[in-house]
Amino acid sequence: MIKKVLFTIAATLCSLALFAQSDFGGVKGTVVNRAGRVPVAGAELILSQGGEVCAAVKSDAEGKFLVEGLSNGIYDMTVKAVGFLDANVNVTVEGYIKDLIFVGMTLEQVVTEVDDSNFAEFDMDDSGFEDSPSILFGSNDPFTNIASFGFSSIRFKNRGYTSESQDVYLSGIRMNDAITGYSPYSLWSGLNEAMRSKETTVGVETSDYGFGGYNGVTNIHAMPSSVRPGWRFSALTNSALYRLRLMATYASGELDNGWSYAFNVSARLGGNDWVKGIYYRNFAYYAGVEKKFDDYSKLSLITFAAPGQRGAQNASTQEVYDMMGDNMYNSNWGYQNGKLRNARVRKTFEPVTVLKYTYTDDAVEASTSILWRTGKNGYTALDWYDAPDPRPDYYRNLPSYYYMEDPDYDRMNYEKYAWAKDIWEHRVPEYTHLNWDRLYNVNWGNYDEAGLRRSKYAIEERRVDQNDINFNAHVKYQPNKSFTFAGGMTFRWNRTEYYKRMDDLLGGDYYLNIDQFAERDFAANPAMVQNDLDYYLANGSAQVLKVGDKYGYDYLAHVFDEKLWARFDFNLGGFKANLALEGGFNEFYREGLVRKGMFAGLDDNGNEIIVDGKVLTNYDPYGNVISSKGKSEIQEFLTYSAKLGLQYHFDGGHRIYANGGYFNDAPTFAQSFISPRTRNSVVPNLETMKTVSADLNYQYSNNGYNVRVTGFYTKIMDQTDMMSFYDDSQNSFTNFAMSGIDQRHMGIEMGFKIPLFLQGLSMEGALSWGEYLYTSAPRMTQTIDNSAEIIADNALVPYWASHPVFKKSMVDGVIVYETDEYGNYVVEEWKNHYVPSTPQLAANLGFNYRTNSYWFFEIDAQYFAHSYLDMNPLYRTDMAVAGPDNITTPVEVEYMAAQEEFDPVFLLNASIGKSWYIDRKYNFGFSLNIQNITNNRYVKTGGYEQTRLIDSKSAERYYRFDSKYFYMQGINYMLNLYFRF
Amino acid sequence: MKKILIFIAAALFLAGCEEFTPVFTGQYPDPQLQKVWTDADFGEITSIAEVKQMYVDNGNEPYDIEKNCVIKGQIVTSDKSGNVYKSFYIQDETAGIEIKMGKNGLYNDYKVGQWVYVDCCDLTVGSYEGMIQIGYKDQSGEYETAYLEHQILIDLHVFKGGFATEEELVKPVTIAGDQVFDEKYLGTLVTIEGVKYFNKVFCIGYIDPNIVDEDKKKSNENRFFLDEEDPDNWGITSWAMSETLFKEHVDNGDFDNVVMNDGVTVGERKHLIKPTPYTMNQWFEMPGLSGNRRFLQVRSSGYARWSDVDIPQPVLDGTETVTFTGILTKFESDMQFTLIDLSGVKKADGSPWYDENNKVIL
Repeated sequence: MIKKVLFTIAATLCSLALFAQSDFGGVKGTVVNRAGRVPVAGAELILSQGGEVCAAVKSDAEGKFLVEGLSNGIYDMTVKAVGFLDANVNVTVEGYIKDLIFVGMTLEQVVTEVDDSNFAEFDMDDSGFEDSPSILFGSNDPFTNIASFGFSSIRFKNRGYTSESQDVYLSGIRMNDAITGYSPYSLWSGLNEAMRSKETTVGVETSDYGFGGYNGVTNIHAMPSSVRPGWRFSALTNSALYRLRLMATYASGELDNGWSYAFNVSARLGGNDWVKGIYYRNFAYYAGVEKKFDDYSKLSLITFAAPGQRGAQNASTQEVYDMMGDNMYNSNWGYQNGKLRNARVRKTFEPVTVLKYTYTDDAVEASTSILWRTGKNGYTALDWYDAPDPRPDYYRNLPSYYYMEDPDYDRMNYEKYAWAKDIWEHRVPEYTHLNWDRLYNVNWGNYDEAGLRRSKYAIEERRVDQNDINFNAHVKYQPNKSFTFAGGMTFRWNRTEYYKRMDDLLGGDYYLNIDQFAERDFAANPAMVQNDLDYYLANGSAQVLKVGDKYGYDYLAHVFDEKLWARFDFNLGGFKANLALEGGFNEFYREGLVRKGMFAGLDDNGNEIIVDGKVLTNYDPYGNVISSKGKSEIQEFLTYSAKLGLQYHFDGGHRIYANGGYFNDAPTFAQSFISPRTRNSVVPNLETMKTVSADLNYQYSNNGYNVRVTGFYTKIMDQTDMMSFYDDSQNSFTNFAMSGIDQRHMGIEMGFKIPLFLQGLSMEGALSWGEYLYTSAPRMTQTIDNSAEIIADNALVPYWASHPVFKKSMVDGVIVYETDEYGNYVVEEWKNHYVPSTPQLAANLGFNYRTNSYWFFEIDAQYFAHSYLDMNPLYRTDMAVAGPDNITTPVEVEYMAAQEEFDPVFLLNASIGKSWYIDRKYNFGFSLNIQNITNNRYVKTGGYEQTRLIDSKSAERYYRFDSKYFYMQGINYMLNLYFRF
Repeated sequence: MKKILIFIAAALFLAGCEEFTPVFTGQYPDPQLQKVWTDADFGEITSIAEVKQMYVDNGNEPYDIEKNCVIKGQIVTSDKSGNVYKSFYIQDETAGIEIKMGKNGLYNDYKVGQWVYVDCCDLTVGSYEGMIQIGYKDQSGEYETAYLEHQILIDLHVFKGGFATEEELVKPVTIAGDQVFDEKYLGTLVTIEGVKYFNKVFCIGYIDPNIVDEDKKKSNENRFFLDEEDPDNWGITSWAMSETLFKEHVDNGDFDNVVMNDGVTVGERKHLIKPTPYTMNQWFEMPGLSGNRRFLQVRSSGYARWSDVDIPQPVLDGTETVTFTGILTKFESDMQFTLIDLSGVKKADGSPWYDENNKVIL
């Protein structure tokens, strides 16, 4: 919208100047959908010379356009329309109105008819990971166009940055999760049509909508007027995630009376061919209405949600995958009386409502919006009380627990190993999957004195229920062609409740609200084991839980965030510069709603809590009371950031631009508490994260060529991170709160699209080649949810960023490590440790062919390398490396501290599509996309290291628990049929 | 329209697939009740005494049973309170024996009073310091038997039957005097009356219990004995010591004067001590016996939920006696006693010393 105003002004100025000349001409034609020659109304045509805009017009209802008064010469004509890829045409004006006849537009959907949910949605909740697909949206940028979908199956992260760093705006409001910072795509997954229209910036570039960070800004318009008018129905089936998606969309476009409205509904249902237990039962709706009051004002109201549930996948060790002969094995499910049931199900219903007022005139565009997000977000899991671990891939169920070749493991029972191996290799379902029948039978048989059945196994639902209110005001003012000011303010208030809810008693009558681990250690003191001490003290016994009751933990995260930003744009000939500044204030605190016996804190009068003569109140090593209930200290952060952008347009479609920025961001709530489920204690040394980032870019866009080359450098300092893992030896979560993590990301990024000799044939490529590594030795604090003990207190993690490789030689077939004159081992090199879970080298080369008869073909070859496994800080401590004897040897360092690099991957993908038109009004077609044609089933996409150490017989060293991995699906297809009119 | 019909048809077809169960119904059928095994499922039943005899007949060496041999017994112990750990005892009319199951929370699946059949073929009958057990072959050679441990081995060898009727239910046999030394009572549920506290404990403590190497672990610098002073309970008035309680005793200096084998006192190594739960024996005297034969060591685990519960004060004072009900065990030549839980600790009049919350009833 802003651009339109801008261009209209520019065009007027241009044409006034041009009319004065003697030789002038123009162009006319009809903008059509390339596949079908259906006129495209409202397309924006921009003619420019050497980067200077000379004219901008819109196509009429029949798609026709006319530009007059152009001086003779060669122009770049860019055509933009909602739902279509931008088209670039070279136009020569030779003193008359040249009829271009048709200007063909390619439907965006051909390349981007991909559901956000196609991005593998992993579940690593328990492992300190959230499922946050790293999505880059499709745009006209040649690199992001390919990377957005083409790199998603490998879980490519743009420039190695985390998902939190990517700003996602909805209708101008920043939507990144207030608690974690993650981009919340799941809120609108399944609403592809309503959310299709969007604008994206890359890297440090600023956006019209907000300041952004160093990893681009995507703004989804989401307004009814931005949804493509007409009806659209589609049915999609795919073999990678869910079987069936049905979708219907209607948008009115802007009616004569100023109203526009739109809706979009969809259902995603069923399982897939690769991972058993993953299923979708997801629905989605979007409804929006908009009223234009006069030429200046517009009021819009939209609401949407994606309610539903889906079964989740779990990572296992390679031992398990190998025995099952299947890297897609999922330990989350089992048979219940012959029916497949998944224990881990995401259940969400989080409606979002936006009310937006927009004012636009020739020089000003302003808007103000209110966005409200509410609802529930749950994730089920098995819970059990004083009963054997029910998970099939629990390490004691595996052969390696009974026998290891190396006698130092002290696992010598080969016969048990053979038995265990046998049942896995024969995939006996009772042992290799959850045994629901047994769990029910245990509950059925567990009668108490009153004749009621106390469940020993149950399903809990971990809830994260957000209430998020955003207020946003934004203005853009352009008094003249050479200066633009944009700015805005946002205010955000978030209150999120975290708690567990009893979801299913699995045949029993009740469950008790006590902490079973605490019970093991503090059996003599029943008050200590209470999850809700106040309830216990009031009632004399632990709370008896029924389905639907809250239990375990219950706390609120309160976050307030205010930001003020401004951007100044200067335009002088081909030269452009912009400066942007942002300042903010961020505060948050935790508020415990229940008093846990283990961390009773002080009572309402500030006194120690004493039960049965025993003082329950406990203190941390610094003498502070550890409290589970009440408000934590308020964490406050002033933040400020600045960006500078410079660019120069050369003649002929060349552009060089550079951006730089400094960012000072507050840590998120999720990174700031050492054990938020149980206490108010804050991570030591909590401070703002500082980032310096810069990029230098060259772009060439002309004659159908589109090339971008970028070099980037980013340094991130003083990050904190919270990882939480389930540790079965403690029967509880163990938490690692890390601080002082520094990273450096540098590399080059390239994308190109080159038309080839044959009409409609082009070559496309993308390359991202970087080095993303850790550069500091952070500190970590390790705690267990159910113990006041601080296992590691702000301890250095010396092997986090790198580890030494020692000089060695072979002497008589034995490896000998060389030592210097003082007896120290000689370091040959330091091996860096890298930012994990993304390939640091990603390349794509593809060919794309569209015929005049509306066929579409594409084939892509991809290569990914230098992807690393996520590290666990425990294995990088001196304690773990040195072993129980406290003597560090080269063998131990190289075994314990090393980071795993995944094998390089070659992939082949192809697409085919075709459209048919009836009466030039009805359009139906299909697209078929086949991924991983070579059926490579050995592609690791991520995973994590377990956090336990294995004692050795020699007591000289520790061994690691096996790492767990996620793999990419083998060959899979997606077939989409659509119909529109 | 036709397309819509096709999709409806396809949807109905898909509804039949297993991946669509949660999509359309979200309901799962009730699981099946587990099979209750009966005598009819097994041929001849061997008695527990016969199986124990196999060990004796093998020259008191572990015997790998390689023939058809099914025993049937009633479960008499529970691991719920944690004193019996990773195993249970079964008993028939001839004898009682420990089945080394090797899992936690066994009481969830195996209840006191429930019949179980143990198919002993491919299992080993061995002994731990005089207590005959059934388990898996221990390939490490460290013990005579190993735990079954893996579910597949449990499922292949241990079969759950029904529950004993009131008449069938095993009742503890009250034994006295020399009967305590009768091997037939070992591993069975017994009651011993009129037992007096002897004010002595036995416990092997470690400076660093985490040392894995056995020799290092047992070294004179690492190991200390709480038994030398006679009689002295070193201030330990509980049945055993959890990690917390052990730490309290250490912090209190209760063990400071214990002299280790290298002549150094525990007090001098106090700063090195890594607390852990301790299993220990509290010494009692049985009536009607004299000399060393009169001692009964009640052995309790530091992992038992009641490990830190105090022995009732009148018992500690020697003013009152205890009637124990539990499993009669032995360690080499010492008679020991394993409580299943504190309900097995009664007063002379037969009333309990502890309530259900393990609080002493005075």
